Amino acid sequence: MIAARFTPVFAAAFALIYCLSEQFNIALVTFHPRLREWGLLTEAPRNGPGMYWYGWVGTAALGALAIALLSLPLTRNRAAPQWIGWAVPLATMVAFVYLLRAFFFR
Amino acid sequence: MVTFLLILHGLCAVALLGALTHQTFAVWWPARKPAGMPTAFRAVHAARFTNGVILLFIVTFILGGVIYPPYRLAVRTYLETARLWTVNGSFELKEQFLAIGLGMLPFYWHVWRQPLDEALSGARRATCAILSFAVWFGFLTGHVVNNVRGIF
Repeated sequence: MIAARFTPVFAAAFALIYCLSEQFNIALVTFHPRLREWGLLTEAPRNGPGMYWYGWVGTAALGALAIALLSLPLTRNRAAPQWIGWAVPLATMVAFVYLLRAFFFR
Repeated sequence: MVTFLLILHGLCAVALLGALTHQTFAVWWPARKPAGMPTAFRAVHAARFTNGVILLFIVTFILGGVIYPPYRLAVRTYLETARLWTVNGSFELKEQFLAIGLGMLPFYWHVWRQPLDEALSGARRATCAILSFAVWFGFLTGHVVNNVRGIF
C-alpha cells in the first residue's frame, strides 16, 4: 500500500522542512504585496514588506514530496511508522510556540 | 472584494470547524444512540466527514492566502505600531499551525480511508485532535484580529 508508506513520511517531512524554511527564510517564491509582484526564491523586500509565507509552504511541499518519493524504495519491506505522520507535526507546532515566544513575553 | 473574500473565508472556516469538531467528538467520545443533542452531536458517521474536511480546509487555506497581502500591508503594520504583540504573535502561530495542518492532509486522508484500519485508530484520533486544535486556534485568532482591525 503506497499511501501507508508515502503519507506519514510526507506529513513529517513537510512539518520539519516548513519549520526550517521559516527559521532560515528559505522561500521558493517571494511576494511583494505593495508592488503585487512575485519573485523566485528568497528576495529582499522591495518598496515595502516582502511576504515569504507562500514560499515556505512551497518549499515544504516540494521538499516533502521529494523525500516521501525517495523513501518509497526504503519502505518497501518495512513500512514507515504511522505515528510520525502526527507526532512530528505536533512536535513542530510545539516548537513554533517556543520559537515565537518573544511575541508573548514582551 | 477583499471584504467579500474575508467573509467567505470566515464562512468556510465555520463549516470546516463544524465538520472537524463533529468528527473529533465522534472519534474521541463515540455515542451509539442519538438520545439528545449532546449525544446526537457525537453519534455521527465520522468517516463521512473526511472528504468535506479536506475540501473545506484547502478552500479556506487558499482564501486565507488570497486575503493575506492586505493583512500584511494594513493590519499587521497597525498591530506593530499599536504594539499589540500578543495578537500579532497569535496570527504568526496561526499561519504556522495551518501550514503544518495542510501538510498533514494526505496522512489524514489515509488514516480515514474506508474500510477503516483498526490499527490506525490512534492515528485517527491524533490527527483529528491536532487538526481541530489548529483550525479552532486559527478561527479564534482570525476573529480577534478581525475585531482589532478587520474589515475597514
